[in-house]
Amino acid sequence: MLSSFKKSRFIVISLVELLLFLSLWQLLSMTDWFPTYVSSPAVVLGIISEFFMTGEVFPHIGISLYRSIVGFLLVVLFGTGLGILAGFFQPIGRFFDPVVSFFNPIPKIALLPVFLVWFGVTDMTRILIIFTSAFFPCFIATLDGVRGINKLYLWSAENMGASKFKMLYRVVLPAALPKIFDGWRVALALTFVMMFSSEMIGSSTGKGLGFMILNADAYGRTDIVLAAVIVIAALGFLFDRLLIGLRGRVLWWQNR
Amino acid sequence: MSCGSVMTRVVPVNKVEPKESAIKISNLRKVFERKGEEIEAIKGIDLDIKEGEFVSVVGPSGCGKSTFLHIVGGFIERTSGVVSVQGEEVGKPAPDRGMMFQESTLFPWRKVYDNVAWGLEAQKFPKADIKERVEYFLKLVGLWEFKDNLPSELSGGMKQRVSLARVLAFDPKVLLMDEPFGALDSQTRETMQVELQRIWSESKKSVIFVTHDIEEAVYLSDYVVVLTKRPSVVKEILKIELPRPREVSIRKSYDFIDYRNHIWDLLHEEENVKSIGGQSNAE
Repeated sequence: MLSSFKKSRFIVISLVELLLFLSLWQLLSMTDWFPTYVSSPAVVLGIISEFFMTGEVFPHIGISLYRSIVGFLLVVLFGTGLGILAGFFQPIGRFFDPVVSFFNPIPKIALLPVFLVWFGVTDMTRILIIFTSAFFPCFIATLDGVRGINKLYLWSAENMGASKFKMLYRVVLPAALPKIFDGWRVALALTFVMMFSSEMIGSSTGKGLGFMILNADAYGRTDIVLAAVIVIAALGFLFDRLLIGLRGRVLWWQNR
Repeated sequence: MSCGSVMTRVVPVNKVEPKESAIKISNLRKVFERKGEEIEAIKGIDLDIKEGEFVSVVGPSGCGKSTFLHIVGGFIERTSGVVSVQGEEVGKPAPDRGMMFQESTLFPWRKVYDNVAWGLEAQKFPKADIKERVEYFLKLVGLWEFKDNLPSELSGGMKQRVSLARVLAFDPKVLLMDEPFGALDSQTRETMQVELQRIWSESKKSVIFVTHDIEEAVYLSDYVVVLTKRPSVVKEILKIELPRPREVSIRKSYDFIDYRNHIWDLLHEEENVKSIGGQSNAE
């Protein structure tokens, strides 16, 4: 009962916020205060509906989602996996500590020229950019989560005769999961940010929302730019909510 | 006597012959290193606990009684000395020494039932056996009807009762209890002591019970071991000759009060003694 109430409350609040934002934007665009190249929401929404009516946006969404989701899944796999190992096995953790401090602050987009020479203008390059950017927030959150586990949980598990492997997936993983989900959420948002950045390079397939934005910008079509930005935002929103829904299911014991 | 493999036991509780040595601790010594300085926490402890005995360990705060128990449990390495359970030397943590901590270590992501089953699953008990044991021990601690609740839905006292069921379920040779009721209010604590006495007298396990509560120690124990302050040695071992089962009101008896006062004196003597050995900043 409560959760369905919370859900409907969330939807109402979201809709009200959206309406407020759109009407404010509409009002401002009717004054001269906004530069003329910022189109009104009515125009932008028209473009968006055109996107979907003609279906021209679907291949762009498809390829962009492919890049971000593959990137994100790789982050989940390696970021979480390595994070757990580094948090649990001290020597591995000690190995990674300086590595993280060194590589984490690097803007991963600065590695783009290197990846370009290496892999060319390919999805490989783009996914690598997404992966390297989103990896660290996930890895660090997992590592902290594992290191922060109450030592007595591990002692109890050892006392009850659990093997190291059993402890990893029956104690360490569930105990660190809340923190791991925090890491995934940050990583997911970053994959969408980096999806756009990575599509700014070349146009090997000529597809993708980032490419769409660049292309529209070249023709001075800010209405299309804004429309594509909103599509990216909507996708990001959708996946964020999906992740939060998954979190609620997996961490069922936290909200009972 | 042999205890056999845990897999083959049918009866939930392992019956033991009285008066055999359950835990033997000799020359146990622990030196910590902190900031390059060596701190001697335990100078040397010798104890011989027979099967079925309930032994409490008290001492001035910071005397290393918890450290002592953690060493017996294998969670902390000892500097030297021997710990043996039923004649076999032990090291790393293992289910032969069931441990209970002050703070609940029930896994918050598992229901009460699954928490009690956890150790049995880890030790690969047969499925039917797990079911039987979980039910038996949850009923023993009186919480069978809470089997589908989460630990977060239980009170502090109930959590510790589930912890006790969890540790009894895998039938350890001895029980190690580190101030298990230390975080409970005094009313609940008294109830828990009565419960523990009842459960212990049914299971007849040997217990090492660390506490800072003198009355708790006297009420529960066959022997109370009083430790000196750091670096600790055994100051005195008291045999508590109060008849069992002990009523709650036994606390009002003169014998009980005599034991209590004697231990109180010993502890206060320790508090007032200037540190000996090892420490230079005794003044």
